[in-house]
Amino acid sequence: MSDQTKQAGDTGGDDGRELAAEYALGLLSDAEIAAFEARLEEDAELRADVLAWQEHFAAAIYQETEAVEPSPQLAKRLQTVLFKPEKRSLWQQIWPYGLGGVAAALVLWLSVTTGLVTLDDALRADLVAELAPTEDGEGLLIRAAVDTERGAVQVVRSAGAAPEGRVFELWLIAGDTAPVSLGLLSADESTLIDLPEDILADLPGALLAISDEPPGGSPTGAPTGLVRAAGPLTAS
Amino acid sequence: MTPQEEVENLIARVAMGDRAAFTRLYDRTSAKLFGVCLRVLDDRVEAEEVLQDVFVTVWNKADSYKVNGYSPMTWLITITRNRAIDRRRALKQPPVPIETADLLPDSKPGPEGAALAASEARQIQACLDELPRARGHLVRRVYLDGYSYADLSQATGVNLNTIRTWLRRSLMALRECLSR
Repeated sequence: MSDQTKQAGDTGGDDGRELAAEYALGLLSDAEIAAFEARLEEDAELRADVLAWQEHFAAAIYQETEAVEPSPQLAKRLQTVLFKPEKRSLWQQIWPYGLGGVAAALVLWLSVTTGLVTLDDALRADLVAELAPTEDGEGLLIRAAVDTERGAVQVVRSAGAAPEGRVFELWLIAGDTAPVSLGLLSADESTLIDLPEDILADLPGALLAISDEPPGGSPTGAPTGLVRAAGPLTAS
Repeated sequence: MTPQEEVENLIARVAMGDRAAFTRLYDRTSAKLFGVCLRVLDDRVEAEEVLQDVFVTVWNKADSYKVNGYSPMTWLITITRNRAIDRRRALKQPPVPIETADLLPDSKPGPEGAALAASEARQIQACLDELPRARGHLVRRVYLDGYSYADLSQATGVNLNTIRTWLRRSLMALRECLSR
């Protein structure tokens, strides 16, 4: 009650105590809320009062409310709402192309015979891959040729380009292992990339994939952008 | 680590975008908060929608938690209660009638009396139990069920101004008890 005597001379604070409790409980009308919040701005004691009520009522609610498990779907829904559907894994994005080796070889044969693609003569390709565009890579025409003996891959991009402000990065996916970066594609049509010796044996049957990445390449060592094109390496 | 520190710690990590911490915070608190929603809304579907909304807010606003000075469970319960009440009012759910017999002015403390008064953690309950039983019941309808003055008036058939006067008196008595 000492509070009331303290408030006695304060004409603006006459019903502040009641209002603080009513505010904390959500009992005020919109107009009253607006007026009270203006007072709260000015009055630290009133703010402390509101806070104290909220602590007390939350404690009472905590004690008196029974815990009830929500349905398990809610947790899943939240994951989807907040964290978006997880980007499809690289494997999910490229698996149709893994099965498309024969078709890819046919497209390659057509490309070469129609003169669409010319290979660097210096490169004696023993493995080739037609990197078919994924649904995010419409318009891309990219093929790769590997000279295992020389330990190099030439990537020829004859149509399509990386999105503005992004670069293309080439990935090798052998067996069940995580994608290994082979390097960035240059802005030119053709890029020659030296391959580390320890991966050469894994190349036949492995997949090559192109993702778009920030300039300088993936900051994480794994693809972070969309996979734009992919295809298996097959004997030429 | 006390449970309170644990929840506080989880909120701090959620504020930094830690998804694993968010999942643990959900596992740790969702059942209690769902109970809060259900108490106000009495409808599982509505209550789950509100709870989803609450956790989206928690994920997005966890960084503002420290600023307002609440303890962690108070922050979570206050957000939940406010959202549930907003929904309750938007749905215009009718209040459950309160028996007139329950409202007869009665100066005796509620049946629980001061039995719980010794426990500091239950200070608020002890003080609520010091109120005349009928008044305590009205206050509980407000903080547990999210009733408005209009709801209380409708539930009791008592005029709104009278209800407000009763409730304000009860709250001030409560305040006095709590400050002892």
